[in-house]
Amino acid sequence: MKKVLIANRGEVAVRVIRACRDMGIATVAIYSECDRAALHVRLADEAWPVGPSAPRESYLRIDTIIEVAARSGADAVHPGYGFLAENPDFAAACRDAGLTFIGPSPEAITMMGSKTAARRAALAAGVPVVPGTEEPLDDRTADADVLKVAEGIGYPLMLKAVAGGGGKGMRMVSAPAELPPALRAARSEAQSAFGDGAVYLERRLLAPRHIEVQLLGDHHGTVLPFVERECSIQRRHQKVVEESPSLAVGPDLRRRMTSAAAAVAKAVGYTNAGTIEFLLDTGGSFYFLEMNTRLQVEHPITEMVTGVDLVQWQIRIARGERLDLDPERLLAPQAHAIECRIYAEDPDNGFMPSPGRILGLRVPQGPGIRDDSGAYEGGEVPIFYDPLISKLVTWGETREHAIARMKRALTEYEVRGIRTTIPFFQWMLTDEDFLAGRFDTGFLDRKLAASRNRVLHAGDAAHEDLAAIAAAVHLFTGPAAKGGPGAAASRWRDTGRAEARR
Amino acid sequence: MTFDVEIGNTLRTVTVHRKGQALHVDVCGRAHIVDARRIGECQWSLLVGAGETTTPVVSVDVALAAGATPGAFDVHLAGRMIPVQIRPAGAFGRQRREGGSAAAAGPQRVVAPMPGKIVRVLVKAGDEVKARQGLVVVEAMKMENELRAARDGRVRDVAVAEGQSVEAGAVLVIVE
Repeated sequence: MKKVLIANRGEVAVRVIRACRDMGIATVAIYSECDRAALHVRLADEAWPVGPSAPRESYLRIDTIIEVAARSGADAVHPGYGFLAENPDFAAACRDAGLTFIGPSPEAITMMGSKTAARRAALAAGVPVVPGTEEPLDDRTADADVLKVAEGIGYPLMLKAVAGGGGKGMRMVSAPAELPPALRAARSEAQSAFGDGAVYLERRLLAPRHIEVQLLGDHHGTVLPFVERECSIQRRHQKVVEESPSLAVGPDLRRRMTSAAAAVAKAVGYTNAGTIEFLLDTGGSFYFLEMNTRLQVEHPITEMVTGVDLVQWQIRIARGERLDLDPERLLAPQAHAIECRIYAEDPDNGFMPSPGRILGLRVPQGPGIRDDSGAYEGGEVPIFYDPLISKLVTWGETREHAIARMKRALTEYEVRGIRTTIPFFQWMLTDEDFLAGRFDTGFLDRKLAASRNRVLHAGDAAHEDLAAIAAAVHLFTGPAAKGGPGAAASRWRDTGRAEARR
Repeated sequence: MTFDVEIGNTLRTVTVHRKGQALHVDVCGRAHIVDARRIGECQWSLLVGAGETTTPVVSVDVALAAGATPGAFDVHLAGRMIPVQIRPAGAFGRQRREGGSAAAAGPQRVVAPMPGKIVRVLVKAGDEVKARQGLVVVEAMKMENELRAARDGRVRDVAVAEGQSVEAGAVLVIVE
């Protein structure tokens, strides 16, 4: 493998470029119109245009990307996460074009991409799934039949789209009377979002945690699981804070969950990096939820507590190398790591996306800090894509140490010109329940609902005094180098006159 | 030179004058002495002392980002981001002060911050709304975003319907 095309953008493209560079492999970036000056383009050895800014016309164009791979002389493709990462047609197109796809086989992506097929695979491997239907309920299934199935599972239950994801086509049903209308709504939502109206039923667990297990599988039959990640801190089904290990998982449970995850992956002949997601209930029982057949956003925390470079291993596995890591080391975390996903969103305005130019950037530094970012000072956060600008990861000897470092890092982190979720994390990291580890997947949405209308960025009066002093000093002094107070005052007079004329 | 500085709903009167190397800054009668060192175009290292005779030693690292309107700044200091509205005190300033907060001038035109699709319309013309109450939900950048009222008022007009696609800057709702 001499040259890798990275079929992605943003921080994950930068992450893959760095892994390639560590290994002496040349990199090919692709970019849409608005990403011409993006960080992944600037860092790569080559960069090729693939179309207009809309993802459908650029980063999702399988034909264009395969053509660029051929013309650039790349011999492998890394899909990152999102975009085409879990599209079996893309993995197959790479294979057909003679390119090494740095990920699982198209067959594995297809099987684990169907929620019902994945559940069957888990059951076949002897791994418990959340009690529910094994066969999809398509549009032709009569309401009466669905009600009968629901009775067998028990209420409350979740109605989910077979092809679903991201909370779409998902409904909670707490009594039989609610089922028919919920069924209609979920089917139509699933039909319009995924082109497939099939749904299935699942019992709703009370106060579950989202715990997941990272895996690597090579082409020689070895599958190795890693210490779990705790991903229960979610806003509207999207993870925002992850940590490893989980406070809720002791050595015995860890042994059982990681063995179960490896069993599922082995049963489907899984290769490369993947993640098995579980729900863990309050009684300590865990259930297979789904498998993500790609590198995860939150992979750095696993790297931090095990010392393993997952992206490098993805590449080595794709080259046919043997996975010769010590399995015990992967299950014995050496530290505690936590990640905050820094988004270009305004937490004081309902997490409204806040795209635009980054006028100033100060990235935290010092012991225990890692910042995986696609941003730079003067760079643009475009409106077309997921507004993730950076993943801030800290690690420490204990959970408290890691959290203390995260608080310090967030204080140092300064992104000027756009709003970010940094103040939200500063608020969250002082929450007593979070600090005590008392949370489940509904925790954050409940906290946010309870704190409605609270302004997260608010400093106390002393900080406001300082902000007032700073703004006044800034205007009093005027622009750097040229002019003093007079210049500032005259600019203000001009503005005042302009306002008056309106 | 005297400024009106608005943070949240609080208005501060701030007076700055130079005495030798130092700046004397009065905030609503609270005197400060400030040693200001410029780090960049919009970055400062301030050493601040309370009162006019102390040695300024409290170190405050500050960066400012200008907002979309004149006098609007996001002030970053001590790990916080504090939105500030500043203007020289005077005719222009006083006129604004009498009107209350800066947001109170004229009807509020709620515009789409980016291209997207209207998912839900939560109000209709004639509705009374409270500050920060949700008005419309726009789907953009893969997320649903609720646009809210800046202050109390009455909905004058709803210019969009559910399911409609909108361009950036399109007026969605007018609150007066």
